[in-house]
Amino acid sequence: MAIHGLWVINKAGGLVYQRNFGGSSRFAVTCNSPLLTTSPISEGLPGLTSNEYLVLAGTLHGIHAITSRLSPAGTSSGAQVIEGETFKMTIMLTATGTKFVLLTSLAETTADVVLQKVYEVYADAVMKNPFHTPEMPIRSDGFDRRITALLG
Amino acid sequence: MTIYSLYIYDRHCTCVYYQDWHRSKPPRPSVEGGILPAVSHQVNPIRPDETTVAGPTYTNPRNTLTSMSGVVVAVNDDTPAPSATTQPAPPQSGLTFDEEAKLVYGVVLSLRNMIKKLSGKDEQFVNYRTSSYKLHLFETLSGYKFVMLSDPNTDSLRFVLRQIYAGPFLEYVVRNPLVSMDSKERGIDNEYFRTSTDRMIRGLSVFQ
Repeated sequence: MAIHGLWVINKAGGLVYQRNFGGSSRFAVTCNSPLLTTSPISEGLPGLTSNEYLVLAGTLHGIHAITSRLSPAGTSSGAQVIEGETFKMTIMLTATGTKFVLLTSLAETTADVVLQKVYEVYADAVMKNPFHTPEMPIRSDGFDRRITALLG
Repeated sequence: MTIYSLYIYDRHCTCVYYQDWHRSKPPRPSVEGGILPAVSHQVNPIRPDETTVAGPTYTNPRNTLTSMSGVVVAVNDDTPAPSATTQPAPPQSGLTFDEEAKLVYGVVLSLRNMIKKLSGKDEQFVNYRTSSYKLHLFETLSGYKFVMLSDPNTDSLRFVLRQIYAGPFLEYVVRNPLVSMDSKERGIDNEYFRTSTDRMIRGLSVFQ
């Protein structure tokens, strides 16, 4: 039972928030931040560079769109849970197209509930923030603090 | 709980086998040249009449309005609307089979790379789930990829894919001198493999 990381992907497939748990790592993804910074290693998954996270988020965005078209029976949502051998990614798509992705261990059963709470925190601390530009990287201490309290 | 379909890809990224069971939207036949022969008889391209020009445009009469197919219009005048008989009545998937096979492979490959990258070691992608289906992957050391689509509520079917590999696949494909593996020209479909895979899948408790 462990939470490895949280991603927020905007409706265009850009990674606007990424954070690892287990270690004490966090870096905001900004357009002019020095790329290729390595984040500290969290206990479950190794940290990647911010560039790599950006690429993975973009890939996930594309895969999500394709998976909804491959349905053998009726209409389908995009991928909701992606599993590897030791971890899984739970994806929540909001009505506005923002995706919340939680990386957890396979045994974690509350990922859906956690994502719902993250969405609430996002609505309160990001969307109601007058200084936040929609679809841009999230750099808000309030959001950070509340995510730490939630997932920490 | 059910099982929808099985795809097998070789290490050259080509689909070499396809079979489906409870699929409510059967795939549209592949376009000419889209897939190898001997993949699955149900998705083989429909042979157009001798007078019709072969190619992706023949299935849809509206395509003859495009400028690039002006010649085809003249040819088709002799045999009016050959396409009317080529489209069966049941609702079909929006994609032709060759497109669908490529998309499945693309998703599997991207997810496999993503899982490898995120785990930082040689970890395999196992499955993903959407609201209406679940996709399972089993990859052999020789690079063959077994992909199965099932009901979203089934547990991991990796062991089933392994069984197909260890049983029918080894017996009727690898040890079959008439199947040329790795040829890039033919699929691996043969009667024994298809029947024995079918029997194995139908015998599963998740298959209803």
